[in-house]
Amino acid sequence: MVPALVSTRSEYDHLFSIYVPIAVGVFLLIAIVVVVTVVVFRRRPVEGAARWHENNLLEGSYALLLACVAAFLLYLTFTAEHRVDTVANRERAAVTVDVTASKWEWTFTYPAYGFAVHSGTVGRQPLVVPAGEPVRFNLTSADVIHSFWIPALRYKHDAIPGSTQVATLLFSGGVFAGQCAEFCGLRHADMIFTVHAVRPAEFVAWAHRQGTGTTP
Amino acid sequence: MSVATAPTAQHTRITGLLAATVSTDHKRMGLTVGACSLFFFLLGGVFALLMRTQLAQPDMRLVSDNSYNQLFTMHGSTMIYLFVTPMAIAMAMYLIPLQIGAVGLSGARLALAGLWTWLCGGLVMQQGWFASGGAGRDGWSSYAPLSNGTNTPGVGQDLWVIGVILAAAGMTVMAACVLATVARRRAPRMSLLRMPVFTWTGLVSVLMVVGAFPILVLALVLLYIDRHGGHIYTGFTGAIDYQDLFWFFGHPVVYVMFFPYLGAAAEAIAVCSHKRWFGYTAFVVSIMAFAALSMSVWSHHMYVTGGVTNQYFAFTSTALLVPAGIEYFDAVGTLVGGSIVLRTSMLFALTFFIQFLIGGLSGIFVASPVLDYQAYGTYIVVAHFHYTLFAGSIFGFFAGVYHWFPKITGAFLRESLGKLQLALMVIGTNLTFFPMFFLGNDGMPRRISRYPTHPGWGTLNLLESIGAGIIALGVLVFLINILVSLRRRVPAGDDPWLGHTLEWATSSPPPPLNFERPLPPIRSYAPLLDLRLEELDRARERREVTSSG
Repeated sequence: MVPALVSTRSEYDHLFSIYVPIAVGVFLLIAIVVVVTVVVFRRRPVEGAARWHENNLLEGSYALLLACVAAFLLYLTFTAEHRVDTVANRERAAVTVDVTASKWEWTFTYPAYGFAVHSGTVGRQPLVVPAGEPVRFNLTSADVIHSFWIPALRYKHDAIPGSTQVATLLFSGGVFAGQCAEFCGLRHADMIFTVHAVRPAEFVAWAHRQGTGTTP
Repeated sequence: MSVATAPTAQHTRITGLLAATVSTDHKRMGLTVGACSLFFFLLGGVFALLMRTQLAQPDMRLVSDNSYNQLFTMHGSTMIYLFVTPMAIAMAMYLIPLQIGAVGLSGARLALAGLWTWLCGGLVMQQGWFASGGAGRDGWSSYAPLSNGTNTPGVGQDLWVIGVILAAAGMTVMAACVLATVARRRAPRMSLLRMPVFTWTGLVSVLMVVGAFPILVLALVLLYIDRHGGHIYTGFTGAIDYQDLFWFFGHPVVYVMFFPYLGAAAEAIAVCSHKRWFGYTAFVVSIMAFAALSMSVWSHHMYVTGGVTNQYFAFTSTALLVPAGIEYFDAVGTLVGGSIVLRTSMLFALTFFIQFLIGGLSGIFVASPVLDYQAYGTYIVVAHFHYTLFAGSIFGFFAGVYHWFPKITGAFLRESLGKLQLALMVIGTNLTFFPMFFLGNDGMPRRISRYPTHPGWGTLNLLESIGAGIIALGVLVFLINILVSLRRRVPAGDDPWLGHTLEWATSSPPPPLNFERPLPPIRSYAPLLDLRLEELDRARERREVTSSG
């Protein structure tokens, strides 16, 4: 059986669907407890205020319960992180794209096809990738730290000068917005790009046309 | 004879502006730092309002990209280096000697030097506005290599670097003096485990300042050298080293900006519940654990750099929920069984706990690397830390202001204006910061001067801008309240709230040497409550004797 490909989006959605309901539940619980307590104990006679002020057994048990919650959340997080950061990068990529960030545009080089596209400062030329197949990105920067972010994929990774870092992402078909997510100076706001995830055959045809210098 | 001829500055009665400049009385110094911080709060607030105006609609160009970058940089820097942190130190400086029954601050002259160093730092940083090319413009964290001489040339960024170095060094010195005071000048019988809750939170904060702030000074001295041809933060390791150094300061400071306000809210809740703070021992252990952990969570700001061990920092960061949970447990434990009066201070303290919860719970969310791969650098993070710092710390600060204003001035603040301020601030805060969670998740990065037309973004941003205006109104009501309450004083007496701790056992405002009357016996962390309860028991016994006789 072929293991399912790692999708950053579904890993995120899975964690989100556990973290957020717990957070909302805890918030409501504590808010309700505080409000009810205040209403119940409002304007009681001062002399009648309780004098007990410590229960270390109760607090210890509570701390233990909290530690279990933390352990549970960490287990989920570590599992997801392992898949996104390790398992995904072991997958056989259908295509590799070298991403060079610079002030203030993205350069996407396709080494297997021998050409590059430039996003231009306002994201004119798209990054084209095959949908449904792992795409490997080698991220680097020519000047300052930038961050390669595709919100729909729920994933970003820094592009730092002097290093090349790998991220493997899986796209569903469609058009996605991308953006620099690390402040990089004057025109940071304009450092955007567009991703076109197309059918693999379409991608190969596009890449061959680009490689021979013809525009699609 | 030697006794008579050894007057220290504390003994000399000096008043007015001179007192604010040269007095080594911890109360004067605390008030000076507090007043200057408050000025910087208003200044940072103006920067925020300008940003919110620019962001009210898509593609607005009220200010240039360059100006916007300066605004967000100086907003963050002003709020963190010049308001929330120094205000926390100011409160500790004013209140801790009183709470532990000390006559003054250890190393008071040093603290005065620290005060001026900090203030000079603030003024130097703001002078950037007059530099050609503008003020600092690389964010309050000013990452290298963006902040080096090639990528951000100009005097403005240099002034930012020097300003932060001076401010951080000054705060370190002031914090060290508070730390020494707690260590050496506690009243007889005031053991560590009899120190009030606020004192503990202040102690833990100054401990973190002393441990972490020198690293910031170091990081920025190196950045200054780097900017002037030193080539320090170069390549991948240089970039990561800067972030490691910066966040080694930058995360503990988050708790420096939280604990004293937590302490203030805790004191307000205990006093307004007429019940001592619940779970004192567990609380002390939990804030110590909090402080210890907080020194080892810094790289959760660097999950997307690929330069740190994400799992370790996810572990320490998520573990913070245990001590944080204890604090909530203690707050609720204090309320249960109490006799609750909903004064303005109490209402601010309760909203502090409830609103901070949103910041804390979203903090658990961003502590997870996989969730942070989306949240990092977006408005999710902006929402998260404004819920901790603004919806949390600032509300705790106001709880403290309404609680201790009568002690500091001898007069009450107006309750009606206080409640109006609270209502405006609760509405404004949530209107401003809650939509940011949605914007961030939907793809809006922070630190952008403009955003394209995108379904829903215009509306949410407009709501936020309106919210910011409502917050400003709330702050205005607060300023009016201070003016009105000082002009038409309603005398408060020495102990208007039935306080628990020693500062309520002296006159309001306290005399230069803090205590003219002998201190009450100190048998717990709430000595005045002990006295009151004994009195109550004696009265009860007397009644029983008379009724049976």
